[in-house]
Amino acid sequence: MNTKQVHKFVTSYLDSMGCHFIEKSPSSVTVKLSPDADRALTNRPYYWSFVDRTGAEPETMTYRWSFENPSMADRAAASPISYVMTESGRIVQEDVYFGSRRLLQLFEASHQGGRCVTLFEEPLRGRSDPLGSQPYTAWLGVNFKVSYECDMKREELYGWGISLATGFIDEKFMETLKLKRLTPRLPSNVHILRNGISLRKGMSQLELTLERKLKNVDFTWAVEAEQRRQDELERIRLYYQPMLEAMTHEDQKAQKEEQTARYLQREAEIDWQYRPRVSMSVMNCGIFHLPGIH
Amino acid sequence: MQIPFPSPADTSTSVVSPSIPGSSSDPAPRKLHPFVEMHVERSAFEDLERRVERNGSWDDWTLYQLALEAEEASLVTDFHALQCLALLPHFEPLPHQVDTARKVLHEMRGRAILADEVGLGKTIEAGLILKEYLIRGLVKKVLILVPASLVLQWVRELNSKFDIPAIAQRKTYMWDNDIVVASMDTAKRDPNRTILLDYEFDLIIVDEAHKLKNKRTGNYQFINELRKKYCLLLTATPVQNDLSELYNLITLLKPGQLGGEGDFAANFVADRRIPKNESKLHEALGQVMIRNRRSDGGVEFTKRIVTNVPLRLSPEEMALYQGVTDYVRKHATAEMGDLTSMLSLVTLQREVCSSRDAVFITLINLFKKTTEDSPLRARIWELVELIRSIKANTKAEKTMELVQQMNDKVIIFTEYRATQEYLLKFFKEHDITAVPYRGGMNRGKKDWMMDLFRRKAQVMIATEAGGEGINLQFCHHVINFDLPWNPMRVEQRIGRVHRLGQTDDVQIFNLCTLGTIEEHIVHLLHEKINMFELVIGELDDIIQHLEKEESLERRLAKMVLESTDGEQLRQRIDGLGDTLLATKNQIHRENKP
Repeated sequence: MNTKQVHKFVTSYLDSMGCHFIEKSPSSVTVKLSPDADRALTNRPYYWSFVDRTGAEPETMTYRWSFENPSMADRAAASPISYVMTESGRIVQEDVYFGSRRLLQLFEASHQGGRCVTLFEEPLRGRSDPLGSQPYTAWLGVNFKVSYECDMKREELYGWGISLATGFIDEKFMETLKLKRLTPRLPSNVHILRNGISLRKGMSQLELTLERKLKNVDFTWAVEAEQRRQDELERIRLYYQPMLEAMTHEDQKAQKEEQTARYLQREAEIDWQYRPRVSMSVMNCGIFHLPGIH
Repeated sequence: MQIPFPSPADTSTSVVSPSIPGSSSDPAPRKLHPFVEMHVERSAFEDLERRVERNGSWDDWTLYQLALEAEEASLVTDFHALQCLALLPHFEPLPHQVDTARKVLHEMRGRAILADEVGLGKTIEAGLILKEYLIRGLVKKVLILVPASLVLQWVRELNSKFDIPAIAQRKTYMWDNDIVVASMDTAKRDPNRTILLDYEFDLIIVDEAHKLKNKRTGNYQFINELRKKYCLLLTATPVQNDLSELYNLITLLKPGQLGGEGDFAANFVADRRIPKNESKLHEALGQVMIRNRRSDGGVEFTKRIVTNVPLRLSPEEMALYQGVTDYVRKHATAEMGDLTSMLSLVTLQREVCSSRDAVFITLINLFKKTTEDSPLRARIWELVELIRSIKANTKAEKTMELVQQMNDKVIIFTEYRATQEYLLKFFKEHDITAVPYRGGMNRGKKDWMMDLFRRKAQVMIATEAGGEGINLQFCHHVINFDLPWNPMRVEQRIGRVHRLGQTDDVQIFNLCTLGTIEEHIVHLLHEKINMFELVIGELDDIIQHLEKEESLERRLAKMVLESTDGEQLRQRIDGLGDTLLATKNQIHRENKP
């Protein structure tokens, strides 16, 4: 993410959380957080539980976030938190760049706040027949993250959707959604087709289809990781087994037990480190009502 | 009609939702490939179902898209490329550090000994590796064990350079944090030990890992027992005395890498310190250990420019020096045998070379220790009278001249607290702002003083250089107001300023009073072994070789006491210088393959 993208991300987040911008420039923003954003970002659970219990008027924090990449010299010179006092209160100054903790937290907050949606596409204005009713199909859209993991890791994203009317699967669903105008309210003169399959069924269809696709990817990485795992297991076997076998004397019993425990522990660690595995996780998902019959 | 929906607490007992296989993750994972199982995590979808049932509440479409954008930005798209570099825009690691990180991640699979020579940035390499694993989500729970004096330095380095939220362990509950830095001594003590043995650590980093060389020690067994996936051991001296130390370190990391203990001795050891089958050993080592050397190039240090500033003491100061020297000689013969009190006598002589304030305090203490009828009292009092007659400090005046000439940041080191106080006052009287720095200050005050020096003061006057690193790369002048007798401490002083990251040549001034023991010491350190211009870290080796029997400081003190006159002392110090030189040459020979 470059400075511009970070800027755009941060301002869209703040905008959608209803925060008040005091100043906005390409290199920085000064913003008074909305109560929701304050709860999500400032890590003040005690303060907010106080507000909730007493019904006191909340005082949210004000930040000045600078998007320029700071040089190491500047960072060394700056104290970790700096703030300025103004007439309207304290403004905390921070650098927000790709990799900074604040941006990481905003990523996390958007993840928490953008988990499940139900949305309708807005019909094109003026085109709709005021008397007729347009049919809408419900889609289940799911963003999957697939990670391939051994002692290394790689990830992929899949923004798929399935029509709940017909079970048709669109592998470019999220991409097309991005171009549409969506609203949380049911538009007028619209009727929603009856679902042919349940939400659960739709979900398992998506999973199975994706699974089939994943079965056909290149597994060289996994074969190699498995080979490494076997090599490592063999290496420690050659180390421990002769040692354990040599411990035949009665006096060495305790020692033998201890070494056996170490051996098992090392085996478990090697497994943990190298065993190839794939995980598929749902990042976020939603029900999208789109015009047309699919 | 409202259907009561179970709260998360009781879902485990009464699952109402109809079931497709499993709940949020499968109990029986599916096989994608004979070697590969797949786990599915679908709690977000279950959340969706719950909300459908309750008819809301729904999240915002912008946030939904932002969540995806965030995920795309931080996606690990490749098994190999180092992603951490893009996330550290403010910080440019050196090429050998990046190479090391790559090698550990991709070839050594996260279990490695980082054995760079001193000053090449092992901490930075470890930081890069840790950062990369964190970004990739391969590491979450981390334990970093370092000497107690380095705990805070590690925390700060990880926080400020790498944006890694590490904390220093202080209370027991803090072990729960994801990334904890602690001292080995704390960690291996109960109850900490028991707590730590229950965790599974994705990564363990041990700094100064040569302390793990003996497998019978508690340290070794503790690390051996900890459950860990990846493990980094950092040490500048993987072998100190014996090849078996290296074997133990590697066995801790990867048992069997060098075979069983007997195999190792038979295959690779000719004598305690002399390996055989070197190329095979190197190959086996190369799979677990990385050692970058300064001589490999790639790391450019700026120059050190050393100037000795010879000074003549004023007649009054010289009189005091002679008086003290006399006293020391006479007294030393009286105390023959008790080495410790003899050594403290030599300190008197050294202090005169620094400031009258320093020697005054020591004399007063000596005076207090003698009994009332002791004949020494009169002698000591005579010396104190001599102090009274001294009105000016020749060295301080020269220092002032230097500071005014350079008109730039400068750090002045002295051995004595009293001298430090005197200099602070002296500079203040001459309208130059100076800040003190000493070992007794707490961390916060030290930081504050460093900050003042960086922003406001032209001069810092320090009594301490070692221990917790103060890094003053922004300053490139050092004045040694007096010199420690231990060359390592001199090196530590200079190392504060002359280290990786220093962009200018460093000017070093040694003040040296002629006709005193100081002259001898400067002669030894500067002319004889030329220590100020040794490569960083080279001194470590030399001193370590030499100090096997007795510390250098003690040797010097003995020489001072045992010599009858200046000429003899000079000869003996020359002799010591020759030994140092020989050691240096020997090390040079050994290091040449």
